[in-house]
Parts: sequence; C-alpha cells; structure tokens
Amino acid sequence: MPDSQTIESATTALATRTPQPDTKTRRYDRQLRLWAASGQAALESARVLVISGSATSTSILKNLVLPGIGHFTILDHERVSPADAGNNFFLEGQSSVGKFRAEEAVRLLRELNDGVEGKADTRIIEQVLDNDPAFITSFSLVIAHNLNENTVARIAKLLWEDETYPSFVVVRSSGFLAEFSIQFHEHTVIESHSETAPTLRIDKPFPALLEYANSLDFTNMDPTEHSHIPYVVILVRVLEDWKKSHNGAAPKTYEEKKEFKKTITAMKVKVDEENFDEAEAQAYRCWTESSVPSEIAALFQDPKAFSAASSSSSTSPFFALLAALRAFTVQHDPPQVLPLSATLPDMKSNTVNYVHLQTLYKKRAEEEKAQFKKYLALSGGAGIDDALIDSFVKNAHALKLLRGRQWTSVHSSAETLGNSMAMNSKHVSTHLALASLSSLQAKQADTKVTTEALTAEAATLLPSGLELPEEWDEAAGEIARSPNADLPNMAALLGGLVAQEVIKMITKQYVPINGYCVVDLIEMWTGVVG
Amino acid sequence: MAPSHYSSGARTTHAEAILGPELNARLGDTKVLLVGAGGIGCELLKNIVLTGFGHITLLDLDTIDLSNLNRQFLFRKKDVKQSKAMVAAQTAAAFNPNVHIHPIHGNIKEPQFDISWFQSFDIVLNALDNLDARRHVNKMCMAAGVPLVESGTAGYLGQVEPLLKDRTECFDCVPKPTPKSFPVCTIRSTPSQPIHCIVWSKSYLLGQLFGEDEDATGELDDAEKEGENAQEIATLRKEAQAFNSVRQALRTPGAPDAAKLAFQKVFNSDIRNLLSMGDMWKSRSPPTVLDFDAIMDGSFSLQRSTAGPSNVNGNNAANGVASVNGAVVSGSKKTEQLLNGHGHANASMSSASSLKDQKRLSLRDSLDLFVSSTNRLAARLQAGEETISFDKDDDDTLDFVTAASNLRSAAYGIEDKTRWEIKEMAGNIIPAIATTNAIISGLIVLQALHLLRQSYTHLRNVHIQYKPTVPLSSTSLAPPNAACAVCRDTYSVLLCDPARARLGEVVEGLLGGSGREVSVYEEKRILSDPDFDDNNESTLESLNVGQGRFLTIVDEEGEYGTIGVAIGALPPNHPIDAPPFILPDPLPKPARKATPPPPATPPPAAGLKRSAPHDDDGIEEVEPSAKRTKTATDTETPSAPSNPFAAPLSSPSKRRRLEEDGLVLMEDKHDKLEDEDVIEID
Ligand SMILES: [Zn+2]
Repeated sequence: MPDSQTIESATTALATRTPQPDTKTRRYDRQLRLWAASGQAALESARVLVISGSATSTSILKNLVLPGIGHFTILDHERVSPADAGNNFFLEGQSSVGKFRAEEAVRLLRELNDGVEGKADTRIIEQVLDNDPAFITSFSLVIAHNLNENTVARIAKLLWEDETYPSFVVVRSSGFLAEFSIQFHEHTVIESHSETAPTLRIDKPFPALLEYANSLDFTNMDPTEHSHIPYVVILVRVLEDWKKSHNGAAPKTYEEKKEFKKTITAMKVKVDEENFDEAEAQAYRCWTESSVPSEIAALFQDPKAFSAASSSSSTSPFFALLAALRAFTVQHDPPQVLPLSATLPDMKSNTVNYVHLQTLYKKRAEEEKAQFKKYLALSGGAGIDDALIDSFVKNAHALKLLRGRQWTSVHSSAETLGNSMAMNSKHVSTHLALASLSSLQAKQADTKVTTEALTAEAATLLPSGLELPEEWDEAAGEIARSPNADLPNMAALLGGLVAQEVIKMITKQYVPINGYCVVDLIEMWTGVVG
Repeated sequence: MAPSHYSSGARTTHAEAILGPELNARLGDTKVLLVGAGGIGCELLKNIVLTGFGHITLLDLDTIDLSNLNRQFLFRKKDVKQSKAMVAAQTAAAFNPNVHIHPIHGNIKEPQFDISWFQSFDIVLNALDNLDARRHVNKMCMAAGVPLVESGTAGYLGQVEPLLKDRTECFDCVPKPTPKSFPVCTIRSTPSQPIHCIVWSKSYLLGQLFGEDEDATGELDDAEKEGENAQEIATLRKEAQAFNSVRQALRTPGAPDAAKLAFQKVFNSDIRNLLSMGDMWKSRSPPTVLDFDAIMDGSFSLQRSTAGPSNVNGNNAANGVASVNGAVVSGSKKTEQLLNGHGHANASMSSASSLKDQKRLSLRDSLDLFVSSTNRLAARLQAGEETISFDKDDDDTLDFVTAASNLRSAAYGIEDKTRWEIKEMAGNIIPAIATTNAIISGLIVLQALHLLRQSYTHLRNVHIQYKPTVPLSSTSLAPPNAACAVCRDTYSVLLCDPARARLGEVVEGLLGGSGREVSVYEEKRILSDPDFDDNNESTLESLNVGQGRFLTIVDEEGEYGTIGVAIGALPPNHPIDAPPFILPDPLPKPARKATPPPPATPPPAAGLKRSAPHDDDGIEEVEPSAKRTKTATDTETPSAPSNPFAAPLSSPSKRRRLEEDGLVLMEDKHDKLEDEDVIEID
C-alpha cells in the first residue's frame, strides 16, 4: 500500500502537528472535494467484475481505477485480435495480439494506480455461470458489455435471486449508438447533493427566532444597525405583524403579497439598504409553507419504513432513519416539518448579527436532532453512527429511494412498448434497435445484420401491425452499417457515462439513472426510457 | 516497422463514418493544436491519436503534480514534476507511430504563438483550466479564422462548445463573470470573513515577505485618490515600508528568529498601529494584538470581540480594489452558474473530517505552522530561489497561507478554516474527476470532426448535467453577438519590425489613405485618437506593441466596424532598406454599418492626464469596444475558409446515407437547422 504511507510528513519535525495530508489524500484531492472521504471509502471497498475486455470495458475500468476502486476483475476468454489492438488504448498494440485480452488489459490498467488490485480471469462466462455462480455474486457490482443476450439474461436472473447480490450494469453499443441500464433491487441515497436548499422555516419560526425578531425596535434603531439586520429576521417580524392584523393568516392573494412586499420596502430608512431588498426578494418564503416535501412523504409509506424497528440487521440503517423521521414529523411541534437545517445561506448583515442568527439556528437544529435521535432509538436505530445521523438529518429534504426491477432486453411488454414508441419515438427506436440486434445475434452469432433483419426481429417484440416510425429506419440503418464496431472515441465517451453511474451507485451519492439510458452520438443526445 | 493494422481497421472507422472515406484519408494531414495537457487534455490526446489526426501540437505550461493522477492517466507517479506536454506526448505517441506529436512546454500567450502560427492549424481544441488563457485562445482563433472547440468541467458538470468566427457565438460573446474582488482596506485593515484573511496572506503578506521587492504602495495611492480614509492609508503605507528589515532577516542565513520577527511585525506592531486610530474602531470591533511568547507558553487568551458593522457578503467592491487571483471557475456559462449556486465545497465538510488536513488548528498549531513554514520558505530563498509566490500545490506556501490567515482571523475574531478549506479557497480549486473528462473529450472529438467537415447543422453546445433523466443536454448554436468586441471585428495581419515601424505611418497605411478619423488601442490602452497624436512618431516597440499583440482601430464616427491588426514578424528575406512593415493585401475592409451611427461620444480620455507614451501607467485604460455603440447589422458574408475539408459534397439528400464503405453524414453546409435537430434544455 505505497499510497497510504506518509513518508513526506514523517520527515518533518512537526509531523504530528502539521496538517499536511498524506500522499493518498493528495492524489485524490480533486475528487474528495466532490464525494468526500465517505464516498472514497465506499469506492475503495468496492469489488467490480467486468465481463469482456473490449475497448468500452477498459474505458469504463480506466475511469474506476483512476479514482481508486478497491478491486477489479476482467472476465474474458478471448485473445487480442489486430482490430482490438487498433482501438483499445489498454492493449499494447501489435505486441498484445494473440495474448489473452483480460491479462493484457489488467496489466495495463493496473499501471494507472498501484493502490488498486486487478485480476484477469480467462474462463468462459457460461461455464462460470454453470459451475461457479458464487464467484459472480461475490462482487459488489458486475458490468457486462456486448455479451450474448442469453448470457446477460442468465446473469441478470442469478443476481436478482437475492437482495444482497451485486448490482448489474448492462452495456450495449453498436457504432454511434449505445445504451446502458442498471439492475438493482433497491438503492437508497442520503447524500443526493440536491440543488434545492432546505427550508429556513420563516413561516413557522421557532420560539427563539420569533423572540429575537420581536425584540427589535426597527423605528428607533441606529441607521447603520438597521441596514445590517439579516433578511430572515426582517421577514419573520413583518410576517408576525402581518398575521396580527390578518386573523393569523399569511398573505394569500396576489394583492396581499404585493402589499406585504410594500410593507417591507416602506421600512427602509435609506434607499440603499440591501438587506431590505433581499427581504423583499425572499418574501415568497413567507407564503410558501414549510412542510414535508411530497417525495419524502411518499417514502414514509414504504413498507420497510414500518418494519424497520422489528426487522433484523439485514435492513439498511436507511429505513430505521426513515421511520424515525416519520415519527418526528408526526410528533414534533410544529408538526409536518423536517428537522431544522443548521445551514444558513449567505446574506446581507454584519458579522455580529449573522453569527447571532447562525447560533440560534444551530442551537435549534441541535435540539431537533436530539429529538430525532429519541425517535431513532425507538425505531431500532440506536446503534447508528452519529456521522450518518448528521448526514441524514442534513439531507432529509432530498432523500432518495429507488426500486429497480429485473433486467429484460426491452424495457416493457409489447403493448406498452407500442405506446412508448408513439410517445418517444427517437429514444425508443434506438433502444429497440439495440435490443433487436442482441436478439438477432443471440440466435446466430455470425448472422448478417441488415435493416430488414432488424425490422423483422423488432416486429416480434412489438404489438402486431404497429408501423415503425421514421426514426426506426435511421437507428436500424446505423446499426446495420457496422453492428460490431467498438469505436475508440465512442468507447471513451461511453466509458465516461457508464463509470459515472457506477460511481454514483457505489458511493450512494448523487442520483443514478433509473431505466435504459440511450445514447446517440451522431446527433449527440441522451435519453432515458423505461 | 508499423504493423499493418495501424493504417486500416477499427482505428480509422470512426472518423471515416463522419468524414467519409475521401476526406478521412486526409485526416493524416490534418494539423491540430491541443491547448492543455491536463484532465481533458490527456483524454483528448488519447482520443485524437486513436481517431487518426496526423499532426498534433500539444502545448501546456504546467508540470505534473500528484493531485493530477486521479484523472490524468497519461502520467505516473514517477513523472511528478515533469512537463505535462512532454510526458503526455511520449506516452500517447507510443500507441500510434503514424501520428506526429509535437509537445511544447510553454505558455500559449507567448508572443511567438502569433496569428500566423495559429493559422497553421486546421483546428484548435481547448483543454484549459483558466479564463484568461481561454479568452486569449478564443481571440487568436477568431482573428485567425480557425475553428475552435472550447470545453470545461467542474466535478460532475461539463460543457463543450464549438466556436467559429462569423457563424457561432465566440467565447466572449457572452460576458464572463469577473473574479471576485475586495476593497483594499477590507483586506489590509478591516477583514470580516475568512476569505479576506486568506487573500491578505496569499496576495499580500506572502509577496511582501518572499516575493519581489516591490513597492506595495501603488494600490494605496489609488485608494487614496478614490477618497479612502487618508489616515488609514497613511498607516498602511508606513506598514508596507517597514517590511524591509523582515525581508532582510529572512534572506540572511543564520539570522535568529526571522519567523518571530515576521510575526511580531504583522500580528503585533501592525495591529497596534491600526488600533491607535481610534476613529476606525468606533463602529467596528477592534482586532486583538497577538503575543508570540504567550501563545507559545499557553498563557495567551483571545478576548472574543463584539464586532461592529462590516459586511458578511463582503463582495461589494468599493474603490481601490485588490484582486483575488485571476483564475476563475473552469468551464463556461452554464457550468459556472450551476457551480456558483451549488456549494460543492461543502460536500466534504461533515463526513471527511477524518482526513488529516481537515483537522481544526488551535492558535498554537497555527503559530507552529507559521514558524515552520516561514522557516522552510526562508531556507528556499537562502538556497537561491529568488522569489516565491503562491501555488496551491506548493506545501510550503499553502502551509504559510493557512497559518497566516488563521492567525489573522484569530486577531479579528473571524472563524478559522482548515488547511483543506483554505486550499480550496486560496487555490480556486474545482473538483475534477476522470469520468466527466472522458465524456467531454469524446464530445470534443465529435464536434471537431463536424467542424472540419463543415457540417454545421450538427454542431451543438453540449452540457453534462446532474439530471438523472437527461445526462447530456444539447442546444443549437447561437449566432455571434453583434456587439461582441472580439469576434465582430475585422482582422488582418501586419508584418513589421516593431523597432522601426511608427504608429502613425502604420495606421495611415492600414487605412489606405482614406483619411478616416480613428482611435487606436492596444488592449485597453489608448495609443492615439483624432485629438491626440503624440504617439504617432513613436515606434510600435516603444509603445509596447510587439509580435503577438493587436492594434485595434476604432472608427471615430462609428460608421465602420472595428479593425484588429495582429502584429507579425517580417520574413527573414525582407530587404533591410525596404519599409519596416508589409501592409496586408488586401487591406482590411471593415463592414460599413447599415444604420447611421449615434453621434460619436467624446473620447473618454479627454481631459485626463496623459504622460509620456513610454510610461505604461500614463496611458489611459479604457474598453475600446464599450466606447462605440455597434449596430446589429453585419453585411459581411463569411467566406469559406480554405481547408481541405471544405470540398464540395455530393447529393445532400438525407442527413445519413449508406455508402459502400460506410455511412457518411450528408448535408449541405448551408442547410438550415430543422426543428427536430434542436434539443431543448429540459
Ligand atoms: Zn464574440
């Protein structure tokens, strides 16, 4: 493990005191700023199996080896052909020809990062399925590129048998067209890196915030101080005053909202008080009710969130946390809000006022987190790590729970396929064309792929009599042109797209694609079907 | 001997499918300039080598750092500190012996990379990480009429845009956000946020102690002129001058306690001086004087201040501005917006606290770090290094900035930051990963092929985004912004000897004796206008207008478009007794504006002091473009640049057609965009 040694810091006199990071942290600096140490740890414990050593496969792996996955195995019994040598950067040109693809690719990929373990396996996949399925299920994620459709279906079936088995990424490409999909049972995301900020709860201020806002004497305040009151405080106060004269209700109609904003502007003692401009711009927060977002409320209905307390350790902590969150939203005062976020956005203020407001929010957030922890203990989550709880509470407004289904070559049954073809002919045509190619080649590997043959194959997948759109001809024509081309630039691009999703799956950060992601690189679009 | 499969087979299929067999055959003669051998550059170099571009010039200024290795896969640990361009070229060349890669370890802004040099390429691919270089390459490509593919990434986000003069927007058609800047007094005497202290340490203190021996009072002069508090300025000026003894100590081997001397000056006596100005602290809380020995022996205690008004946002630039480093977020418009609204920096806060440089530092820790980093930097000066400036990957400077800014924060009652956070803030660090670079590089090659093929209907601005339903979104290209000061100008080249050619005769020659009234600029410096001819007898060299620079000729009446004249070198066989310049043939013909222009505004420089032309500071800095209102009409029709890919195309029936050797994308280059071609951003 050469990367984990801290030779450099050990040589400085103040080794224990200086904050210099070790070489591993330095190597991964730019990505740690994206997915943090938790994401990195997840990557480093991941074991990925890639079936086939094609140019696309090695491109995917390159993007997993560089950021430092724990282990990868390439399973491929083929030997390097001259065509492979010409388009796969992770073979050594002519000198690799005739050698095992897996062994050559693993050797060159490992050179990218000596912290990553790589193995070549030259067995035939079908034989492994027959004799050693446990080998396949021992990984944390399996990727297959351009495998025989029947083999893909067998792997998919195997990995669907148990919830704990690895996710399965199926990649198909032909010339400039490609698609990939991920088979997983269930995927939970706490750190979704949502672009939506949690509510500041201005419409339902907690007691200390309300008290602070009410304590201010805006009319007799020093003018400098007046221009440094954070907008949050201004809004809480104006809303409170408004409610007093409106039977306790926030502004509702357009006229009322306009009047509310006018009230804020009228409070200015100087024209250039930017904090009041901010308050006016943010006034919508007063009539946007802080509540449990509908996506999160839907998660509360998940059966697993009800069984969390009673179920065994096999259930991920996510559901115990979810159950506690539901309890919190029911029993907390005010009800139907998520635990308060301690993060305050930047706003016009002076340091003292800002820090004071920050302290109020932090204190309240801590109190609500403590309450949340009580519910958590009741829902069977007593042993959950504090850092995870913090992260869960912080991201409570943007949690994701995805449920997958078993892989099939086309995304739906014949009837619904007909419908989606009508709705989304471009994406579905490409998806169907790639499925037809797989299906055709599964029947006879060296079959001649023509537009007609593909069309005939597609007809077996579609409702009878359905007329294929113009987009079908383009997609089928492109595939018929060079059905087996694994073009270097396409492989590189697809390698980036697939690895990106694999990293999201492994780190459980950001929201991965759910469905079949279809890629057309002539027209440069991507779409998701199913 | 090159194996036979190099010249045929899969390697070339790709480009062939887009270019067609005939044009593809010429790919081996195509000359590509790849600017940048970083994250995108490594990927891109691999892709264009595999695609079969025959002549690749790869230019990069940087050397390899350990933190590059998580994505820049042409480099290994053993290559750290080597030139990126050299190592990348070596690694990639091994893969395809038919490709000629010419690596240059240098700065794209150097004068020898002038307009004729740019014109020697068929296409330019940008793989840059800073705004300044991007804008420079954009301008050169617009002037040279060479197609450019621009790109950028930030974490999971990325963007590719093809740029071609007169056909698409150029990089500068849409104004870019300018680097954040702070009032000089906020930085020097009244910081209220961690970033103020970081900027002070990095851009001021580090330079004062270890940088060039320069007079740091220039920006104070400006601040004073702009009406900043005179007493405060006077104090700051005294403070700046008193650095000399500390600088001396740091450069003297064996001088005892140089670090302590530096500490005493900036955290003790300078703060004392500031405190003596009672007025300053009436409405804000005064800083605390730090005591070296007391911190060391643990007896020091900070009294928490009750800070008075300052500005938490801190970015309302006032007079006399200190700039915070030119490097801005990588990537262009959309990416920047997404990034700015998205605190990626915070992603790592909670869960990554186990990392060593994410530990909070106590006051004593900061002091120890200040002493050790100062000593390390001083040792480097004594070992012969002349000046040291900030580099986020240089641990000594990063440690110094971490320590100094935290000490200053402590004195001012501002929250401290970890070394990890300070690195990101001081170094303008943008997260970068292999996957995004791979996607972007693939897209760049596709755009480049479409540009070479002049299949303009296929050009797209493509974004990689967060949306799980639409990982890539593409938009059709916008036409040039009629008011753009970069790509709407008419460009021309003047070959000359700047040491002999005089401004007046050159401009007169370029105007072809038309007698038009014009103002002449170099960048933002005004060199002459109808009421100001002092420089007309000066040589271009004395006006600092050498090779690689541009003269900008703006029509005084606003009747004609602006002319940009690139300065190039005379051919070696130019007779010594001939005139010292060769006028372009034909002379530049700026478009005549269709609508009558608004009355010419008086020259902005009028009435302001103009000192000798040789004094750069005396030359007025104005925005040449902002001066004149330009009209939207552009009568100029773009003429097809002469390149081998511009060959006439056969029957443009459908956009795709099957041919013997493969599918060729077919379309007339003047094809109109069809609705179905446009994918709206969702
Ligand atoms: Zn422009």
